[in-house]
Amino acid sequence: MKLWHSFTKELMLASRSFYFYIEVVMAGIFLFLLLFAIPENFDSRHDEYLFYDIPDSSWEYFEGELLRADEDGLVETVEIELDDEIIYGSLYKSDTSNFYVIDDQELAIALADSERAFAGVIHMDELGEVTYTYYMQGYETERLLNTYAVFHNEAMEVLKDTFDTNEVRALHEDQVLLSDRENVVPSFLTFNGSLMGMFILAAYIFLDKKEGVIKAYAVTTSPVWQYLLSKVGVVTVTSLITSFIITIPVMGGQPNYLAMFVFLLATGFAASALGLVLASFYDDLMQAFGVIFVFIIGMMLPNIAYFIPTWDPAWMQYIPSYTILEGFKEILLPGGDITYVMFASLGFFAAGLLLFIFANSRFKKTLTI
Amino acid sequence: MIKVKNLYHSYNNDGQFAVQDASFEIPKGEIFGFLGPSGAGKSTTQGILTGLLPLQQGEVTVAGFDIKSIKRKMFNKIGMSFEQSNVYSKMTAKENLDFYKKLFDVETRDSEELIKLVGLDGKENVRAGEFSKGMKHRLTFARSMLNNPELWFLDEPTTGLDPAIAADIKDIIRQQNKKGVTIFLTTHNMYIADELCNRVAFIIDGEIKLIDSPKKLKLAYGEQLVEVEYQKNGEIATETFSTVLDEDKKRLQEVIAKNDIQSMHTKEATLEEIFIKVTGRGLA
Repeated sequence: MKLWHSFTKELMLASRSFYFYIEVVMAGIFLFLLLFAIPENFDSRHDEYLFYDIPDSSWEYFEGELLRADEDGLVETVEIELDDEIIYGSLYKSDTSNFYVIDDQELAIALADSERAFAGVIHMDELGEVTYTYYMQGYETERLLNTYAVFHNEAMEVLKDTFDTNEVRALHEDQVLLSDRENVVPSFLTFNGSLMGMFILAAYIFLDKKEGVIKAYAVTTSPVWQYLLSKVGVVTVTSLITSFIITIPVMGGQPNYLAMFVFLLATGFAASALGLVLASFYDDLMQAFGVIFVFIIGMMLPNIAYFIPTWDPAWMQYIPSYTILEGFKEILLPGGDITYVMFASLGFFAAGLLLFIFANSRFKKTLTI
Repeated sequence: MIKVKNLYHSYNNDGQFAVQDASFEIPKGEIFGFLGPSGAGKSTTQGILTGLLPLQQGEVTVAGFDIKSIKRKMFNKIGMSFEQSNVYSKMTAKENLDFYKKLFDVETRDSEELIKLVGLDGKENVRAGEFSKGMKHRLTFARSMLNNPELWFLDEPTTGLDPAIAADIKDIIRQQNKKGVTIFLTTHNMYIADELCNRVAFIIDGEIKLIDSPKKLKLAYGEQLVEVEYQKNGEIATETFSTVLDEDKKRLQEVIAKNDIQSMHTKEATLEEIFIKVTGRGLA
């Protein structure tokens, strides 16, 4: 009962402090970005500006190639703005590139320069010899440059044979992927929902330390662990509210909300307990800032790996936010691995419990500090 | 009500003791003053007695409970008024007291009655963050009475209060004591100790130098003095004479016989003067 009184008191205090509103407003901003700024799927096609300096008779062949690569097999006439001038071009859309064919070499190069894109000039002399001149931006990879080198130095027949004899098989035929917009949600949930609890809880404790109210609580019949747990409870409730504010409008009924509830409780508890441990060593936020900053940066590393799957070193998996990101992803995917989520929840709850016990013993020893 | 035997406490376990070999007993119903300058070990001792600091060495019983393994129900019997006000600034005065009321298992006092008692009537629904330092101090003081404590720890209860409010607080302390409440008063203010305490302990550098009643201390260490103001060559002169030393007695008679006396007061040694005499240190 005393725990309940402490919890309701903490809720009242949270509702009167700006941290609570910062979290809710941040969730609102994230939601706005997800719904109105982040597209359902990112268009990863890059632009290429091409000028064909070839006889009309040969153009048919090259256009045929472009149309074959085009998604709908149709050419589109487009207007492109360059230095307040309108330039007309023909657009061919393949699954990897937007090819803009421009009638003027200088304009094609100027457009590439203006748009920081790729330009190509295809020239055919009187003998029918084709030369390719590429205008690049300087950031292209060695791999891309090598591809162009190979492409123009190997016979097309050899390359075609090699491509045709390569067998490509999908290992997971029924794999369901999140859209690009949905794929951002686990990152928001991890940092705003779970890990922010560490910072917010430490901030709440520092406010109480400043007011000295922990000492006043310690001379009542209610044990200090109830005071600490009531703080964790409030941070967890805030985390649940902000997480659902983000998830429900974006994901609808797709996620496993029960698993999400359990996972948010477990990860929020662990993060809050970590915040308690940190707060037990310092008197105010300024003193603790360095350590909190290091923790936040460390926890952000898996987020980089999450968005750049080619960079995923084995050691990264030992950082808790890696597991949290994966857990949220499984929760959001239709038919996700809920066993993984439950085991991860168990692990975070156990870790949180150990941290909480340690923090409680620290607070009992440092009440007069 | 309190028994302390051979109490030691070190913050860094480095052989430097904030409290060393402190022993004393406080019977039920007594107002016991714990006097010393800042850093003398007063707050450390009080911290151990109230369970805020762990007991490292020695034997301590408080309100019948062994401090070595504190039971939470002990806090039903004790009240603690801190030197530094520590109330929730985002809660009103009433909300503050109502919350702490729920953390005890015994019958508690009415929040509004206590707020009125400490002179904060009309401020029940004002957030403590809007209070002056003195008002917050009074709210902290009121909170310590919520559970009708049998043993009341008061840490500098009148610090920062204007004289009229301080007088009211001293009256409340006396009234509570009349009801049988034992009071452990920590202060460096010798006047309040002199006014309120049945016995006082002088503590310095973690060691208790002396324990006795203020009256006995004055008899043992004090010296009766007479302060005389008289006209001398058209100007007012002031002199202090001992009523014990023969030389002073003769001189006093001379002054009375030859001059126009303006005022004459007996003056006894203050606790502060005795403290300095006993410990060789001041209270600042």
